[in-house]
Amino acid sequence: MNRSAPIFGFNDARGAIVHEVVHRVMSATREPLLALNDAAYHEVKRLEASKSPEDARELAEWQRVARTIGRMADGERQRLLREHAERIAWDVAGNFDARVYDVSTRLVPPLVTALLSPRKLATLARDPRELISLDALADKVVVEGPIETLQQLVRVGTAVYVPTHLSNMDSIVFGYALERAGLPPATYGAGKNLFTNPILSFFMHNLGAYRVDRRIRHTLYKDVLKTYSCALLERGYHSLFFPGGTRSRSGGVERRLKLGLVGSAFEAYTRTLLAGKERRIFFVPATINYLITLEAETLIADFLSDAGKGRFIIEDDESTRVGRVAAFMRKLLGMDGAVVIRFSAPMDPFGNRVDAEGRSYDLRGREVDPATYVRDLRGEVTIDHARDAQYARDLGEEICRAYARDTVVMATHVVATAVIAWLRQQTPRADLFQVLRQRETVIPRDDLAREVVALRERLRALEAQGCVRLGHDVRYGTGGDLVERALRAFAGYHAAPVLASRSEGIAICDTNLLFYYQNRLAAHGVAWDVIAPSGMPAGLGVRPPPPPIGAAREVGVTPELDASAQDAAVGGAA
Amino acid sequence: MSGRERIKVGVVGGGPWGVALARAARRAGAEVILFSRREQPELRDGNGENRPELTREYARVARARLLIVAVPSSSARAALRALGDHLDGGHAVVHGVRGLTGDELQTMSDLVREETPVKRVGALGGPVQAEELLRGMPSAMVCGSAFPEVLAAVSEAFQSSGLRVHGTPDLRGLEWASALVGCLAVGVGFAEGGGAGPGLVAALISRGVEEAARIAAAAGAEERTMLGLGGYGDLLASIGLEDRPEVVLGRALARGRSIEDAVAEARLRVEAIPLIPRVVQFARARGVQSSTFEALERVLQGDRPVALVERLFAA
Repeated sequence: MNRSAPIFGFNDARGAIVHEVVHRVMSATREPLLALNDAAYHEVKRLEASKSPEDARELAEWQRVARTIGRMADGERQRLLREHAERIAWDVAGNFDARVYDVSTRLVPPLVTALLSPRKLATLARDPRELISLDALADKVVVEGPIETLQQLVRVGTAVYVPTHLSNMDSIVFGYALERAGLPPATYGAGKNLFTNPILSFFMHNLGAYRVDRRIRHTLYKDVLKTYSCALLERGYHSLFFPGGTRSRSGGVERRLKLGLVGSAFEAYTRTLLAGKERRIFFVPATINYLITLEAETLIADFLSDAGKGRFIIEDDESTRVGRVAAFMRKLLGMDGAVVIRFSAPMDPFGNRVDAEGRSYDLRGREVDPATYVRDLRGEVTIDHARDAQYARDLGEEICRAYARDTVVMATHVVATAVIAWLRQQTPRADLFQVLRQRETVIPRDDLAREVVALRERLRALEAQGCVRLGHDVRYGTGGDLVERALRAFAGYHAAPVLASRSEGIAICDTNLLFYYQNRLAAHGVAWDVIAPSGMPAGLGVRPPPPPIGAAREVGVTPELDASAQDAAVGGAA
Repeated sequence: MSGRERIKVGVVGGGPWGVALARAARRAGAEVILFSRREQPELRDGNGENRPELTREYARVARARLLIVAVPSSSARAALRALGDHLDGGHAVVHGVRGLTGDELQTMSDLVREETPVKRVGALGGPVQAEELLRGMPSAMVCGSAFPEVLAAVSEAFQSSGLRVHGTPDLRGLEWASALVGCLAVGVGFAEGGGAGPGLVAALISRGVEEAARIAAAAGAEERTMLGLGGYGDLLASIGLEDRPEVVLGRALARGRSIEDAVAEARLRVEAIPLIPRVVQFARARGVQSSTFEALERVLQGDRPVALVERLFAA
């Protein structure tokens, strides 16, 4: 493994980074009074709702700030602001321990299995060599995509990985995928709640994660966080963000993103240019695809309940229960290709495709210098937050397109889609809740297999256009195989049966979960799309990818010819 | 803006609209270079005031970082592709082209993004007419761009005592509004030519604009853009003109002319003809009610004026 990535020196640089962050936030804060008032207001509101004694102390402190701030001298306010900025920055800053990294990437997957299934632990205690041979995840977790290109890219620039987000397992699974792909580790902002999760905290600490407390809503906190992320990118730390912001509640592929931290890449890149040492940043979308999702039951229940709409952080789902995680891991290890991580083609922050050397290309295949995008119309390199906010929105759209194209379809998704489609045929014009109420209906096996095969044909056609990817199981299995595989995947993990095999056919038991799994294909115009974000037309399908770099030029026609062809076409339409 | 270097403006397109825009920018004090394939004798003669620099080379017009594209929509793709060879990410491309292309109803700024490396895109729209710009008559224009710096640059380049530039971040809304206004203007011409009174014309305009706003919203635009200067305002200006091609075409159709004859009478291309059926199709696919546009489609197919009214009031 290449140890030149900056993260291996993070602990030495941490003090300097925190210092830099505090300095920048201080000089960017024009109104310390406003910043402190805003912080005090939001913190008092948040802490008042808490019952813990620690929070009570903090509450008293913020209440004192709120009372006294108006009378303070300017210097005093500055000092107080700096104190808080520093406290936040240290709280955010993570830790990276190369030894822990080694242990976790090489040994933790089998170790976790062992820990989670005590029988194996006993075997290990007797024969520690088992640890080495237990590279159990290798066949179970598939890592695919333009991996060689990425391996070259991370040597010439900074990678920002932006995967889809379904599960609290994602950060671990993705970290593992990076290692498997021969890519250096990435630092990431993990929700602070994950640090208190009894199972996940082990991985969160010491792996370069920084803490993001999503309960804190004041501007000073967000400024520190963005500045911290910017400083890391500037220094070449490969980073991982989940731009969905939170786990997809519906199970669908993200179609709208939260771009706050993603946006820090623009400032980071511009700063490297201003400092005269350009360091290019590359965005790498990726999909993390699960045959079954650890927290599916909680997430879909949350999606379907009105109460769930405002619940941003869930602290009591399956990922906090050792038994469920163990059952999930057993399921995962029992089935080949149960998790597929697929990297998309890398792009620059402005949505242009890049090659392995880090050069950017427009849609016509012309090379373009990314630095030109951060020049103003007078030609000066400038930091312009309004401009960058729009670049970020455009980039978000490109990332979502990549998600849809690189969604890997698995047996559970296809079978769930087929079942829901069949239910809808039985009750035309029924709304979502009417469809979901139809439990204990039985589908004849042949009908379901036929539906699955027809669906697979549509997915094949989409894949031929580059609009989706079929998983290994979906590509090669017969309709019956796919139904069997889905049944096997569901059985034994989800608490109640999802589908049950009966003599007269397949009984539909848990329509909520079937809805959850079919939602993965909603954006593709294949499954029922009732989860499109507001303002976005439903089920219109996916735009095919642009022709590969280099091909565009050859395919292109000369402008003159094209002009007459276009005229003829328009004339014909008239 | 004293003390700051002024932005240089490049105008692509030597037709009446391009020349008018180049003149307007000159009048506002900008340094202007006009790309034109045809001779522009009236620009070569006369005194230096208000006279833009002329070129036939894309490379030269691309020295300006703010480019205004004013070519017919039918040749826009070819022009953008050729221009794109000389552009980079530091340019801004703002087009003044009315129309939506292809079955997907792509906007012109979608084409800019496809054919050039430019990301900072914008569009011009609103009620201003070429004639007003040429003669320096007071008028108003709308610029749409999600990039505040593009709005600022266009305003700096064109705003003068005679021309007010309004900005909107809703680029898509402005582009859709401009295109749909062209369709509605055909309908207004048709209604007037068919002898409709002010009440009926007002009903057609109001309902048509509202419907257009909903259709544009289905394409990701904000409804209110169609209801503002770039939609309503543009439509009022269009139907106030005697020689507006869409209106002329509508009137000719009302007199019972065939579509070919009506097009000949309008003399200029009317983008609305191929656009109307595609808008109807688009609205149907998205479940947006579009009886005005459906009525317009029937008009193009040769329906009688009274059928339009029936269609409008049927829904």
